[in-house]
Amino acid sequence: MRSAVAIVGYGRTPYSRLREGEPVLTVDEYLAWAADLALQKAGMTKADFDGQGLGVAHAEAAHTVNWSAAVAENLGISPSALIRGDQGGASAAAMLIRAAALIAAGVIDRALILGADTPLSIPSAAPGLPLSPERTRGVYWDFQGPFGVMGATAQFALVLRRYMHEYQVTPAQLGKIAVTNRFHASLHPGAIYRKPYSLEDYLASRILSDPIRLFDCVPIVNGGLAYIVTSARDARALTDKPVYVRGLGEANNFYRGSRTHPDITCTGFAKAAPVAMRMAGIAHRDIDFFQPYDDYPFISMMTLEDWGFCKKGEGGRFIDGHDFRFDGDFPMSTDGGQLSGGQPGGAIGGFMPLIEGVTQLRGEAGARQVRDAAIGGVCGFGGIPYGRPGRSCVSVILGTEA
Amino acid sequence: MKEMLGKPFPEITDLTRPFWKGAAQGRLMMQRCEACGTVNFHPKPWCVECGSRKLSWQQVKNQGTVYSYTVSHSVAMNLPGWELPVILALVDVDDAARMYAQVVGVGEDGIRVGMRVEAVFEPIGDGAGIPKFRPLSAD
Repeated sequence: MRSAVAIVGYGRTPYSRLREGEPVLTVDEYLAWAADLALQKAGMTKADFDGQGLGVAHAEAAHTVNWSAAVAENLGISPSALIRGDQGGASAAAMLIRAAALIAAGVIDRALILGADTPLSIPSAAPGLPLSPERTRGVYWDFQGPFGVMGATAQFALVLRRYMHEYQVTPAQLGKIAVTNRFHASLHPGAIYRKPYSLEDYLASRILSDPIRLFDCVPIVNGGLAYIVTSARDARALTDKPVYVRGLGEANNFYRGSRTHPDITCTGFAKAAPVAMRMAGIAHRDIDFFQPYDDYPFISMMTLEDWGFCKKGEGGRFIDGHDFRFDGDFPMSTDGGQLSGGQPGGAIGGFMPLIEGVTQLRGEAGARQVRDAAIGGVCGFGGIPYGRPGRSCVSVILGTEA
Repeated sequence: MKEMLGKPFPEITDLTRPFWKGAAQGRLMMQRCEACGTVNFHPKPWCVECGSRKLSWQQVKNQGTVYSYTVSHSVAMNLPGWELPVILALVDVDDAARMYAQVVGVGEDGIRVGMRVEAVFEPIGDGAGIPKFRPLSAD
């Protein structure tokens, strides 16, 4: 399936932290806004997707009906194939795999893929806590909440603590990733937090769930994103800047070790990344920039290890040895990451690495443009399983050449 | 989800009742697979290792080892009403499975990966209890 399809348009709405005076948009309004931006970019209209593919990522704002068929109704599109993303932050990348397979099989020629969420305006189980009902009921919740699991930060802190027990990584090393993300956010007009901070600022930020501190934690926002994928042949007719999907790999519910006592310091990228790189026919040195699922710096670091940029346990040293700025030797999270960019819900942030990858390869990244970018590595990472770091890991290789 | 004492209260179902009832009676209960012997936790519809639906609730040992821990100073996913900080751990229960649990009876400077711990049980109402762990040496 190497380069069978290409991305020809993308959209990312402005994000909202619901500051006073900002309008409160619904999930459907954000979906329409993101779709509008992507259609404009591709020079298409919604009618181009009648009889074609429509993909919709699950939103956690469970008070809205967000089934893909209901979204089609609300947008007035009559697709012949619906694609559903329900893999949290891996949904955007996973839907790319589904769309590519449907296009390669000749079922459809193109697909419009959408995601939006409004986690800041979910009617919550607890006032002031942005929690959807689906996160606060069922066996999964019953065996976490009452046991003192305080959220993703606490869940990830357990992973990082174990990592620090087995290997070495310092707060300053993780801080370097956070500081670079914020620097990139200062160059991205759409990022939610744009004022640069120093490593000292990072180290001075308070501990929320030891060893994770405030500046390690992704801020949530309301917003929506979209992209359009077509057959490679159609893409060349539509745009002079098609971004080819060269490689894809996916691992769900990955375990290293037994299911009762897994090694939680390794993610499914260990399985997904080699598959994507083999399909793309590339080596690590061919990758010009990298967009991990960047909600926490240590997740970015573990992702680097599991993609094989360095060995397990050497992530800290890899951080010391590389410059992650857009003009450095290893450009990473060039949009500011979700960490400083904002995460439109746990399920939609996964559009951001993909869309920043496309933006870079089209040469449309403005002040943060990676020079001569031809190949990018992109991640989807979704869901937090019981006692482990990531339910779904998707690796994508994008390129300017087929 | 009901709320009790400001803390989240589990929905107790036929699938999960043996765990909560056992904890109210001072016993740590988990599902053991009759086919392959794997201990499954949290409660599962079939054995996650072999796929057998023959799972039976059995009392497991009440001792274990801290696989990892965190000291939480803030509440994100949970309801307000917790006394912070909460020391949350992943505990490898001896000859059983790994579980989330609070560690009590130890300060945030005393908790360690590899620490031996034993279960203590607190009633949470409705005939249910919840296990926490404390350092094995303390009594």
